[in-house]
Amino acid sequence: MQSREELIKRFVELDKTVQHDDVIVALPFDLPPDSEKQLVDGLVGFTKEKIKVYRDGTLAAEYSMADVKEIKCVPGIGCTTLEILTGDEQEILLCRSNMSLNLLYATLAKRLNRYLESGVFDSSYEEEVDIYCPKCHRPYSPGSNVCPHCADKKQYLKRVWEIAKPYKGYIIVSVVMYFVISALNLLGPYFNRILVDDYIKADQMPKFAGFLSVIGCIFGVSVLSRILTILRSLTMVEASNRVIVKLRSMVFNKIEMLSLKRVSKRTAGELINRITGDTETLQNFITYQLGDIVQQLLVFVSISVLLFIYDWRLALMILLPVPFIMVAYRLFWRFIHKRFHKQWTLSAKSNSVLHDIFSGIRVVKAFGMEKAEMERYDKATADERDISIANERTFALIFPVIGFFMGVGEFFLLYYVGSKILGGTMTLGEMQQFSSYVSIIYGPLSWMANFPRRLVRVMTSIIKIFDIIDEKVDVADKENAIDLKIEGHISIEDISFGYDESKDVLRHVSLEIKPGEFIGIVGKSGVGKSTLINLVMRLYDVDDGCIKIDGHDIRDISQESLRSQIGVVLQETFLFSGTIYENIVYAKPDATREEVITAAKLAGAHQFIMKLPDAYNTKVGERGYTLSGGERQRVAIARALLHDPKILILDEATSALDTETEKQIQDALQRLAKNRTTLAIAHRLSTLRNATRLVVLDKGTVAEVGTHDELMKNKNGIYYGLVMAQRQMSRMAPGVTKVSESA
Amino acid sequence: MADTRKSEANTESATALRDVVKIVRLDEEAAAGNAVFYKNSDFLALRAKIENENGEREEKTWDRVFLHRAFPFDDPYRYISVLDKDQNEIGIIGDLRNIEPEIRKLLEEELERKYYTPEIKAIKQVKERYGFSYWKVETDIGPLQFTVQDTYRSILRVTPTRIFIVDMNGNRYEVPDLEALDRKSYRLIELYL
Repeated sequence: MQSREELIKRFVELDKTVQHDDVIVALPFDLPPDSEKQLVDGLVGFTKEKIKVYRDGTLAAEYSMADVKEIKCVPGIGCTTLEILTGDEQEILLCRSNMSLNLLYATLAKRLNRYLESGVFDSSYEEEVDIYCPKCHRPYSPGSNVCPHCADKKQYLKRVWEIAKPYKGYIIVSVVMYFVISALNLLGPYFNRILVDDYIKADQMPKFAGFLSVIGCIFGVSVLSRILTILRSLTMVEASNRVIVKLRSMVFNKIEMLSLKRVSKRTAGELINRITGDTETLQNFITYQLGDIVQQLLVFVSISVLLFIYDWRLALMILLPVPFIMVAYRLFWRFIHKRFHKQWTLSAKSNSVLHDIFSGIRVVKAFGMEKAEMERYDKATADERDISIANERTFALIFPVIGFFMGVGEFFLLYYVGSKILGGTMTLGEMQQFSSYVSIIYGPLSWMANFPRRLVRVMTSIIKIFDIIDEKVDVADKENAIDLKIEGHISIEDISFGYDESKDVLRHVSLEIKPGEFIGIVGKSGVGKSTLINLVMRLYDVDDGCIKIDGHDIRDISQESLRSQIGVVLQETFLFSGTIYENIVYAKPDATREEVITAAKLAGAHQFIMKLPDAYNTKVGERGYTLSGGERQRVAIARALLHDPKILILDEATSALDTETEKQIQDALQRLAKNRTTLAIAHRLSTLRNATRLVVLDKGTVAEVGTHDELMKNKNGIYYGLVMAQRQMSRMAPGVTKVSESA
Repeated sequence: MADTRKSEANTESATALRDVVKIVRLDEEAAAGNAVFYKNSDFLALRAKIENENGEREEKTWDRVFLHRAFPFDDPYRYISVLDKDQNEIGIIGDLRNIEPEIRKLLEEELERKYYTPEIKAIKQVKERYGFSYWKVETDIGPLQFTVQDTYRSILRVTPTRIFIVDMNGNRYEVPDLEALDRKSYRLIELYL
């Protein structure tokens, strides 16, 4: 993507009437405004007075900036458009482009609208919209800002070494052992030669004691080499495990430090993969491959040298086919890789069919689809069977052939060596020693052919690991962050916020909440209710404006002191694997058992907990007892109540409960609410009957504020509409009390 | 026998559903002269006299309507939803062929503009590196290059021979017939099928 400066320059070249400094921004487009299928070379320039659209070098349209009320990015499917809305409500298509410019369009639309409001253009967007490496123009991995192609790889290896340094004792020891093992490997064939030449085929009767000692040597070398190999593996495993554990905890700590904004940019699977998968790749590399390359290279070089010293013609004969073997090996590998990949994909497919059927077994049975599913699975396995038979066939055919060609060199060797023996210039033992070396030297070759691929893989992992470790902590404590004893006075002052650059979820929201107030937040799905409370908890930082608690900007309060005084019950209650007791006591580990029971009673959880055979010791979470949605919510409420927070946040906390239980909990909360500021989100409006004030959000702004009675007076208001809709609903279906709609 | 009974049952239940939920068929309404699509500056507008919530016919004008395909891959010219500015559905065009040619052209253009999908004629190169695949292709609008992330999951197989490739930015490329590709192109894409 071209930089802002380059685009402006291009625009000024096209349009001689504008001055460089008058251009706010220029952006490219590549599709015509109509449906015609062709590419165009277009540029839209925004100046202080005008918007000018150039298509293929000529001015296609021109609009006055003063007429523009709003600029919108309207994405299509596979393409995106930028539109303007004029003062007299007319919509005009400005330009159209393929999807790769969507992020740029969305970001610029937002910034240009701010410009229309304030007259100031914030041009610091480039880094955020650029997902391509500026050097090689290849895209970054998702959620990363390091280009794996251009990253300084040596730098990364150096950093791995920094981490491994404390364990260098292990590494030195194992390297020494590598040398010894390689040397021992060469000694074996040497003793063999002595055995054959000096004893078995000796001219005169040799001494039996010497014979025994040679056998002993061969035995000793073999045993020693095995023992050293075991020791070396143990040292390497020890060292690499230590390094990896350290790396893992570095990555994990870093992820925990990162704000939700950064973390949720990546999926849980991706994060887990960084901590376990990528570090494991690195571990395997250190443990097995790094050592192997040392050893294999040593073996290869030393044997080559030995061969050359002994007989250079022989050495050449053995080494000449090496490049060919390497090439053949690579080709062969690519061929089998393709085939195996296909087999693997098909096998994954049939597995997922199986997974699908079993997870949905109730649906399958309920609709009587067993037979259809059986056929689906049969088809998937049949596909897999066909390819695997085909693969096995190719293998059975190709492996021996490849093996034969790889061994062709040995035939020449046999001929050459054989004729030398017949000519009397070489002994039988020497021949044996040679054949051994030759068979050893082919080992490292196939291994080395695959090494580059392994190296690339481990480098990718290393870069990904450090990518996380290097990430900037964006919601960080200030150096002089204060520990505040919270009273519960929250003032939200003209805040704006969006999860990404392209769209503001909240716009200019202001709200004053007194200590001890119970604020109900209502509104349709997606208007920003949960976002608002996320901001109060400072899981994200606001883009504009500020949130103050007791007169202090929350960015000045240490996160630990802030969150330790806020209690949260979320809609998706999460229970950790462990007992119910452990889950409740999570936020206050020093609570007494009596406190826990009191909290559970308040939350209406005690009753059902006592019905379980193991009561508070019941295991929940994965592999544990499955609690229903309502039971989980009650445990979570107990957790929040035990925490005794100054600010209590309930995000659809009682949505899975029946109205009666909910009312009981609400009343308990009401009694507790003194000296406690409560923010509650609920779709079921009856949940909020105890609220001192209700805040109605609409399209990211505060639409209405007031008590239930006050808001009901406005018959055209949003709240009135919501209440009426729910009343109608409960009249229509008396049995249904739950308005299920997620926030 | 069983099949006939099944389809009878299906028709029956479909009728039952239709009694409960009314779908406004804008193609039928247009044929009956109750709905007119027309161009309003750059975009599509609609004037229609259709039933409102109370079941009364009422003439209304939408200065701008949006089209959205219900089956973009396997039935792109049937069941097209017509939406207002707030993305509420006004009605459905059951089949574009029911609409008179001039207006149909208007609708088709609007669809082509929203759904932009170059057709791949030949694949020149596919390179894989660090989890991305880099493609060089020949399309109906000329040579293109694009990058696909998580290649296996980004290739949608609509029929055994018709596929869509979605690149990392959300652009779509169609291969209408895999078997019509030349040998080299097919070999390059085969690995991902």
